[in-house]
Order: sequence, then C-alpha cells, then structure tokens
Amino acid sequence: MGERRHEVAMDCQTIQEILTEHRGEVDRLEPAVRQHVEVCPGCREVAAAELALVRILSEAIPPADLTVEQGVRSALRPVRVRRRIVALLPVAASLLVALLGAVMVGGVPGAGMVALLPMWSAQGWMALASGASDWGTALATGARAAGAVIDPAVLAGAALLSLLGLVVVGIAALRWRRVSPWRADD
Amino acid sequence: MTVTEKTLPPTDERLVELALDGDEEAFCTLVRRYQRRLTAFLSQLVGDLELARELSQEAFVRAWSALERFDPRYRFSTWLFRIAHNLGIDQLRRRRLQTVSLYRTDQDGEEVEVVVADIDKDPLGHLENRELASELRQVIDELRPEYRELVLLRHFAGLSYQEIADFKEMPLGTVKNKLFRAHSVLRKALAAFL
Repeated sequence: MGERRHEVAMDCQTIQEILTEHRGEVDRLEPAVRQHVEVCPGCREVAAAELALVRILSEAIPPADLTVEQGVRSALRPVRVRRRIVALLPVAASLLVALLGAVMVGGVPGAGMVALLPMWSAQGWMALASGASDWGTALATGARAAGAVIDPAVLAGAALLSLLGLVVVGIAALRWRRVSPWRADD
Repeated sequence: MTVTEKTLPPTDERLVELALDGDEEAFCTLVRRYQRRLTAFLSQLVGDLELARELSQEAFVRAWSALERFDPRYRFSTWLFRIAHNLGIDQLRRRRLQTVSLYRTDQDGEEVEVVVADIDKDPLGHLENRELASELRQVIDELRPEYRELVLLRHFAGLSYQEIADFKEMPLGTVKNKLFRAHSVLRKALAAFL
C-alpha cells in the first residue's frame, strides 16, 4: 500500500515537472499526461497555478524600448571603421615588409612605369612616383652599397621576406574582404 | 523559393551570416529580436532598468564587434546572453565595491532597509498592480541564487530548457528539476495572486 502511494507520488512529481516545463498548458501535453491531470486534483491545481504564474512572469517583462536599438545602430559604424583599421594593419605591415624587401634587392619601380597610368591622374601619380622613386633609388643605392659588405644569404633572405610579405598581403586582403566588404551603401 | 521559405522570418544563423558579410540591417533584426528579453533579464540581474538598457546596448555592440569569433555550432541566443550575463556580473562586482549602505537604524535600534523608490529604474515599475510587483520582487530576490538565475533565464530571457542547459553547461535533467523546485517556491509565495 505504502509502495503504491509512493509510486503515485512519483508520478505526480514527474507530471508536475512536465507541467512546469510546458507552462501549465495541458492541451500541449501527451494524451497519457493529459489523462493523469484530468483525474488528479493535485496536478490539476498545479497546472492552473502554472498558467497563472507564467502569465504574471510574462507581464513582468518591461515593454520594448526603442532607445536600445537606436543606441546600437549609432555604435555599429564606429565599430566597423575600427574593425577596418584593425584589419588593415596586417596589410599595411605586409606592404612595408614587401617594400623593404624590394628595396634591398633592387629598388622600387621608376616614374616612367607609373606614367602609363591614366592621363587625368598622371601628374599626381607622377609626383608620387617621382618621390617614391627618389627614395627608392636612394634606398636601393644604399642597399647595393651595403650588399657589397652584406652576405648574399642575407640579401636572399630579404628577397624571401619580400615574397612572404606579398603572400601575407594577399591573405590579409581576403580577410579584409570578409570583415568589411565594399558595399554600395558605404 | 517555396512559400514557407518566403514567409518564415530568417533564422538567427542566417542573420549572423548576413551580419558577418557587413549587413548592419541583419544585425539590427537580431537586436529587435532580443533587446526586450535581454533588457528584462539584465534588469532583474542588476535590479535597475535604466542600467539594464545601457548594458543591453553594450552587449549588442560587443556581440557585433566579436561576431567573427562567434562559433556557429552554438546558438546565437546562448552566446548573446552569456555576453550580457558577464556584463551584468561585472557591473554587480563594481557596484559592490562602490556600494553605500541602504540600511538605517530605526528608533528601536533595529536595522531597516531604506527603500529607494524610482519608478524609471524599477524593473517592475510598469506593473499596475503595485502589491504584486512588490511581492514578485521580494520572492525573486529571496530565491536561492541557483534557482533565481534559472528563473531569470527561463522567464525573462525566454530561453528554452535546452538553451539554459547549454548556457549553464548543466545536464538538461538538472535544469528541469531545479526549475520545478523554483516554480514550487514561486507558486507558494505568490499563491494569493494565482
């Protein structure tokens, strides 16, 4: 008899756990559980109380506040710009490495090559290229002078570094595309 | 595209994918989807609605900043609420360091709590039934911490049992059992309102 009562009590606890999980909505329960609730006053009471409790708790949620979304919206763009800058850092660093490597093994392209760029921007490009070329020539001359005393293995290392830099530029550029694609609305 | 695909709102996973491709509007859809629940959860956690709104905003911005690190094998909701939970806990720690006593000594020499009434900051300030609001606040505050957290996650954050289990890294059965016990306490304490 005691064992039977224990079994019934266990059943009720299981049923009430299910009722709690399903917010007291008896109609959504399996037929066997529904049947138990129909004939068990204790579980029926719990089902009704659960329905009321969940209603109270749902009413306790404050209404939506538009200021949160507005605040988030205004913060998205600065975060995006910051992410772009952070994503650009490896590209910039890699370009620098590549440039240094290129300078050490023979200099950067001269102004004549860049002059092939479209005419409308030729002057600007020419000025830029000329400056870069002057610096490149100066650095390359320095590098060649140093090459006379620097071990050829070091120069080979510089060339390798240059190549590696270009590879990293490629990888970083792909990542850049993922982080911050160029979109029409930018 | 089928009719079902057309009418169903995009899943969190799809919105995260779009957001990762730079679609800010997709992320704002996620914000609209979760902001109310996130604010409700945080307001109960820190006990201050205004602060909860600020923390919700911060949680979304952090999620946006760290979206690349989000592991799509997990639910976005679980990840977002974890960010928010950590922010709330940090805030509570900071506040504990800067706290001032809200107790005073009455004429009999007994310590009594000073109730600071600020309807804008009260997470239950919108409830018209003030008696229920007061009782509900008290019963939630007095729940055992392990029950309280699960009740907040279930009813204020709106997470499913499985999401709570993932969030707490707890077996599903334990979540069921603890929530059942927590509800028993709530039903008993709020019997007059049920």
